[in-house]
Amino acid sequence: MGYPSVDRRRLLAAAALGREAGVPGPAPGDGDPVRAVTGEIRDVSPHLVVVETPDGREERLFITPSATAWNGGDTTPADLPVGARVVIRALHEGKVVDRIWAGITRITGTILSVEGRADLSVELACGPHRGRRTITVPHRAAGRLQVRHPRLEPGYLLDAIGVRRDGGCLALLPATSQPPYPARAVPPAPAAYAGTQQRVSGTVTWSDAFDEGEWGLAYPMMERSDAGCPEAEVSCAGLPYLAMGSLVQVHNQCAGRSANVPIVACGCVAGRFCDRCVECGTSPRGRLAELSPSTFVELGGELVKGCFNAQIGLG
Amino acid sequence: MTLVLASQQPALIVLLVLGTVAKMITVRSGGEPGALSRLGPAVLVPGRMQAPALVVCAAGELVLACGLLLTTHPLFRWGTVTFFTLSTYVLLELRRRRPDAGCGCFGEVSAAPVGLRSVARTVTLSGMALMTVWGETPGWTVFARPSWHTLAGVAVLVALSPELEEMVDRLRYRAPCERRRAPAESVTLSRLRSSGTWRAHQAELAAAEPYDSWRELCWRFFAFDGQGDRDVVFAVYLSGRRPVVRAAVVDRQDSGSMPEYTPVSA
Repeated sequence: MGYPSVDRRRLLAAAALGREAGVPGPAPGDGDPVRAVTGEIRDVSPHLVVVETPDGREERLFITPSATAWNGGDTTPADLPVGARVVIRALHEGKVVDRIWAGITRITGTILSVEGRADLSVELACGPHRGRRTITVPHRAAGRLQVRHPRLEPGYLLDAIGVRRDGGCLALLPATSQPPYPARAVPPAPAAYAGTQQRVSGTVTWSDAFDEGEWGLAYPMMERSDAGCPEAEVSCAGLPYLAMGSLVQVHNQCAGRSANVPIVACGCVAGRFCDRCVECGTSPRGRLAELSPSTFVELGGELVKGCFNAQIGLG
Repeated sequence: MTLVLASQQPALIVLLVLGTVAKMITVRSGGEPGALSRLGPAVLVPGRMQAPALVVCAAGELVLACGLLLTTHPLFRWGTVTFFTLSTYVLLELRRRRPDAGCGCFGEVSAAPVGLRSVARTVTLSGMALMTVWGETPGWTVFARPSWHTLAGVAVLVALSPELEEMVDRLRYRAPCERRRAPAESVTLSRLRSSGTWRAHQAELAAAEPYDSWRELCWRFFAFDGQGDRDVVFAVYLSGRRPVVRAAVVDRQDSGSMPEYTPVSA
């Protein structure tokens, strides 16, 4: 047995087919580069935030008066608590804070059970590799959530933006309109006839089921045996088959940014959503991929909105 | 007259067997949750009962086909009449309650919404089954001596079968290879091993089995440990029985310098 590194697959595939091995990272010439910084707040003042990154470094970032923050609701950066896990969008060579999201989490999965009267306790299946998760829908957020998720019933999908509090997760905002079909009955992709389609349009979302600060995406259309994911190969977007380690070029049509992003996980849950993004115009149906929070932010996405209209192709 | 009455048995038997096979294939390959929910009478039963309903239907068809083929027992003949009459009712009900669902008569191929042709076909089959009740010979004897009446019955059924058009369309307009399910990895590996490219590089391999395999678009890649700290990678095209195979030998040292992503501000 050798060393089956998925990164190496790109090089081997490129050598076999005589093509260029793509390079992961943002495309040059997309305007002022955006950098995502993730970590834990060590100190914060109205003008400076100190963040400890996952690799143990300290990052000192300037806060301008125009910077905004989110911590379960809009707030000012200086009001964020020390110790909060944050994702920061930094501009100007990655040294100036533009926006901070504190404790943000995304709750995506199939509802297994719903309990409670005032505050609802919802158990979700988040895919074979992500396991189960129990979240709380507080009474004050239940109405807002149920406007777009009318069927809080076992078997249906849930996708919400929430916040981490005291070791638990609170769902606060719907991230999309709930698909009207049960999770097991995903509509088929539109018929496609011979002829290679270079790029596929749809919606791209984010998920926090990645390592902190990881650059990558989860993709639904992978061979089940290759990905070790028995629920893969489901999508209504007409996606081509790719593999773990393949490089995907993601273009954010709303922000005009592009990047080559490697597939690092199976996106079987994303594939069950046949929804649209209306961030800038209305996208075609179907989730193309789930990005890690860092990737989503560096491609110009707003975590609270949850998606952007995108086109993807092989990187 | 007896020959005329019995002449439609071959068509009934073949259709019943085809229905059985197609339904079983659909149940086996339709492991995908939700795939069965768009098919035939299965949509009229709860989700967890859909696969068993198709299996029971297939088993019933097989029993009737065997009975028609081997015996003249009225149980099987009247059973066939009842089966097709019930099918007509179910199709009418399906058309009324779930106009989006296919009839599922021949499994996944019958995914188009139920139309008048499908209903007319089951009415015709009911009529044919009724004719055979008074036929005095078992099905196998008619198979041995087919008549023009048999061919006429087949022609009517062909004209009333929307599945044939669907199959022709599928053959003419196949989905692009990168969106189709591929043959199993073992099948592709055996095709690789029967290729000339494999024979040309076989001496460079240090192991008989690949250490990694993955599919990208219409290619399946197999990476093998090669002689002298090198990798030998084969790319097999996933379409055709004698597919295109490409190969490359890559130094492991070279691969260590894969470009890595660095933040733009670094």
